[in-house]
Amino acid sequence: MKFDGNQSIPIYIQIAEWLETEILRGNHKQDEKIYSQYQLADMFNINPATAAKGLNILADEEILYKKRGLGMFVAKEAEQIILTKRKNQILKKLVNDLVIEAERLHVSEEELLQLIKAANKKGEGEAK
Amino acid sequence: MNVIECKEVSKVYHQKKALSNLSFSIEENKITGLIGRNGAGKTTLLKIIAGFIHDTEGETLVFGEEPFNNLHVSANRIFIDDQMIFPHSLTLKDILKTAASFYHNWDNDLAERLVSYYSFNLKQRHHHLSKGMKSTFNSIIGLAARCPLTIFDEPTTGMDSSVRKDFYRSLLKEYLNFPRTIILSSHLLNEIEDLLEDILLIKDGEKCLHVSLEELKEYAIALNGDEEKVKEITSNREILYEKKIGINQLYVVVKNDLSLREKEQTVFSNIELSAVPSDDVCSYLTNKSIGGIDDVFNRG
Repeated sequence: MKFDGNQSIPIYIQIAEWLETEILRGNHKQDEKIYSQYQLADMFNINPATAAKGLNILADEEILYKKRGLGMFVAKEAEQIILTKRKNQILKKLVNDLVIEAERLHVSEEELLQLIKAANKKGEGEAK
Repeated sequence: MNVIECKEVSKVYHQKKALSNLSFSIEENKITGLIGRNGAGKTTLLKIIAGFIHDTEGETLVFGEEPFNNLHVSANRIFIDDQMIFPHSLTLKDILKTAASFYHNWDNDLAERLVSYYSFNLKQRHHHLSKGMKSTFNSIIGLAARCPLTIFDEPTTGMDSSVRKDFYRSLLKEYLNFPRTIILSSHLLNEIEDLLEDILLIKDGEKCLHVSLEELKEYAIALNGDEEKVKEITSNREILYEKKIGINQLYVVVKNDLSLREKEQTVFSNIELSAVPSDDVCSYLTNKSIGGIDDVFNRG
């Protein structure tokens, strides 16, 4: 497996984001052991110290917890913490960009809201 | 524990200083990239560490001992480069056998699997191999020896790009299974940087930088925008690289120590900030002039 060559995002952050997505997908449940730094190093072809840095970010944010000598495990609140974090960071930024772009294109607030509603409906239709 | 300790090491060849006052240490079980321009002194340094040559001044300790003429050091380190010469009478099979008898951690199974993966004919002789095949064979010896200190000096010379990728992958696999101290010298930092924990950058025989890869990636920052506005911010700083684009656009690389206020200023001035790839950082730090090769052609 390989990351895209996006130079501007450090690899350890890409590792942390990938692990978060794995947890959100339900591939690693609460109190389950997550990959070790060595498994991650092997999977992504990187130095294990870099992989450890990615794991430590998630431990600092209490998405993972350490058991001495056993490795890292998924915390109880992991999913909630990730969702809140992503909402606050990613979604807010995307909405911000959207509003700026809409202004540039002279799209009114009402029009924009309608576009969002339409996209939402379409998403729901596809989900069914 | 430090596997290598160099204190103010200098080496003089024919009255020319190849290394000058080099001090650094390398911890056990780390992969370090030794980076530098042609003639920066990489090979000289590695040969001193391996115990092939003496330093002129200073102190070099490997496993706590002086490496020159030292059996303990030579049994626990291996030095791989493209200049390795083996007796012409030996076949590849003989060479592997001899290596196995010298290195006590030798993994014969690994050597055999790699030899068959790369389709070597063991009856062949080393000096009949092509440049790339020589490097590939040497790298097998370097990996299978499982030496606590493994030194690769430009190991990929002549290898095609898929063999290079295979080599890097097998190096990482081996390291994960049997951690050891590895030094890898290369011109191709972008190819090896993901494997490295630290880099040691040398310039004209002197230490330029010894940091972790993550630190190197955040070492510099690029500003791209209106010439005057970029200069406003960068005028009091050391410029690592500078390039003029179009009529009044300037791309400047400086150390990544902009204050928060300066960062805000760049937003107002429409200056684009971007990360600088680590191999570019190394080139800029070791360039003789801030415009690089372009300065040769700009005679105005």
